[in-house]
Amino acid sequence: MEILRETFRSLFDNKLRTFLSMLGIIIGVAAVMTIIAIGDGAREEINRTVSSLGSNIIMVTSSIFSRFASDPLEFKDAINITTMVPGVANATGLLASSYVVEIHGKNTTATVLGVLPGFFEIMNLDVVYGRPINEEDSEELRSSAVIGYNIADKLFGRQEVIGERFNIIQTGSSGSRKITFEVVGVLKKTGSRLLFNIDDLVILPHTVADHRLFHASGRTGQILVSAIDEKSADLARMGIDFYLYRKFEDSKKYTILSQDAILDAVNQITGIFNVILVGIASISLVVGGIGIMNIMLVTVKERTREIGIKMAIGASRRRILLEFLLESVVLTVIAGIIGMILGVFLSGIIVHFGKAFGLSAVFTVKSILLSFGVSAAIGLFFGIYPANQASKLSPVEALRYE
Amino acid sequence: MPGTVLELREVWKIYDMGEVKVEALKGVTFNIEEGEFIIIIGPSGSGKSTLLQILGCLDLPTKGEVIIEGIEVSKMKGPQLAKIRNQKIGFVFQGFNLLPKYTALENVELPMLYAGVPAKKRRERAKELLEMVGLGDRLNHKPTQLSGGQQQRVAIARALANDPAIILADEPTGNLDTKSGEEIFRIFEELNENGVTLGVVTHDLRWLEKGSKIIKLLDGRIEDIEVVRHVGNT
Repeated sequence: MEILRETFRSLFDNKLRTFLSMLGIIIGVAAVMTIIAIGDGAREEINRTVSSLGSNIIMVTSSIFSRFASDPLEFKDAINITTMVPGVANATGLLASSYVVEIHGKNTTATVLGVLPGFFEIMNLDVVYGRPINEEDSEELRSSAVIGYNIADKLFGRQEVIGERFNIIQTGSSGSRKITFEVVGVLKKTGSRLLFNIDDLVILPHTVADHRLFHASGRTGQILVSAIDEKSADLARMGIDFYLYRKFEDSKKYTILSQDAILDAVNQITGIFNVILVGIASISLVVGGIGIMNIMLVTVKERTREIGIKMAIGASRRRILLEFLLESVVLTVIAGIIGMILGVFLSGIIVHFGKAFGLSAVFTVKSILLSFGVSAAIGLFFGIYPANQASKLSPVEALRYE
Repeated sequence: MPGTVLELREVWKIYDMGEVKVEALKGVTFNIEEGEFIIIIGPSGSGKSTLLQILGCLDLPTKGEVIIEGIEVSKMKGPQLAKIRNQKIGFVFQGFNLLPKYTALENVELPMLYAGVPAKKRRERAKELLEMVGLGDRLNHKPTQLSGGQQQRVAIARALANDPAIILADEPTGNLDTKSGEEIFRIFEELNENGVTLGVVTHDLRWLEKGSKIIKLLDGRIEDIEVVRHVGNT
């Protein structure tokens, strides 16, 4: 306790220098804190989005989707899976691409999907005006479209737009052409769900989308399946596997992802991102640590005579070592605390301006303890050398030092 | 019968300056008995400072033995030496060597802090000692707010803090004007009258009449030991 009082005394004696030498650590801890908080926030957001689908969603992807592939996934498979595989409630293929949509000179970019009618049930979508895509739309190749909230808003400025027409602009090597569609349904404002922002969607019958936009001849890159309930998800997954293995006779040609697998994959990716970003931010911690070491070495030099006096009246080398070590640890821990507070503040600001991109910040006990531990460790690591220098001084020479 | 406080036996100190070896002490032997007031004099370069450093356990001899209150210290390691300096030795320096950021009271408390004396006891003892050297009204002054003589008195109080076996002083009046110097003489004499063992290294000849024993150093050897008066058992 007594020794701590001396530590604070010498830190307070040199307020400006103490603050400046803390700055590196403060910035470093604040940066790490912010990145972890935003990263955890993003991960939580993604997890929430994925989980909002319910744990009965299964995704099948084909790694060899291309127009020329000899045996790709097809919409036919989605229909077969729905009718043949036990435990499956609904399934759809998924054609997806970005297009510019326009009407009367107003335009915006939309994610255009070609799907089976089951898509609406699988994604649990609310149609507030009109109706979803149905079997007749597909069979009779009707130019029907269900549009998301943002599309309706940007093209028409309102939501009740059933019967209105709009154009999807397709640009190809022979110039661009307009393909006209009629709005049959408008979706409720929903936000992100799984891979899409629902509000930016234009949903077409798969036959029409394939025929007029994608030219995929019934092929699809992925199939989205919903099981009847959580309990049947495993049964459905096995059934799909069985069906696809019979089709491809090679389990490497397709991948079946359940929600858990998607979550794992997402967490792995965000985890890697986090590690990289924290790694970069940590560089400033190391730089800050070197700054601390530098200032402590100067302090030792300046206080050589004081060290000599203390040794002459009975301070042991251990005591001197402890005094200086404690000084650098207290310095970095205080800097760490200030950095944490600054980090909370900083992530608040970032979240405030980044709300549009779905940014949020999450502070965990883990990240607080981590910042605390890391700053103490920096104090120890970079303080040990100067402290050791101080304790190794010979009392006779230290006393002679002017 | 008073005991022997300090014993030096054939003490050599040789500084290895690379190519040249400087022999600062060449076989110094003498005793300091309890209650004695030793004055060590000699021209500069005679080894006075080196001798004081060895007496005060700030440095170890190259050869020979140093025994303090029956404990052989010449072969001790760092932590033990620090303890000896803390418990057995009280230092008074020419340049006072007080810690500038500490008050008089805190400066006097410091050796007791290292000795592990509880805070309350420390404070009381420090106050007593400062009152004894006539600084009862300067307890919370920092060294810069005190005159040279006052600073030296704080240093004496600090040297006495752990009730050491001997007070060692290096030119204690060297930085002081005559009047302040007189004050320090008086305090040392008083201490000695109360049985405190003293060792003063100086070339201020005024000290000669105060001491009970004069040790004259020349070229790292004892030239002469003059007993002015016998202490205790006479």
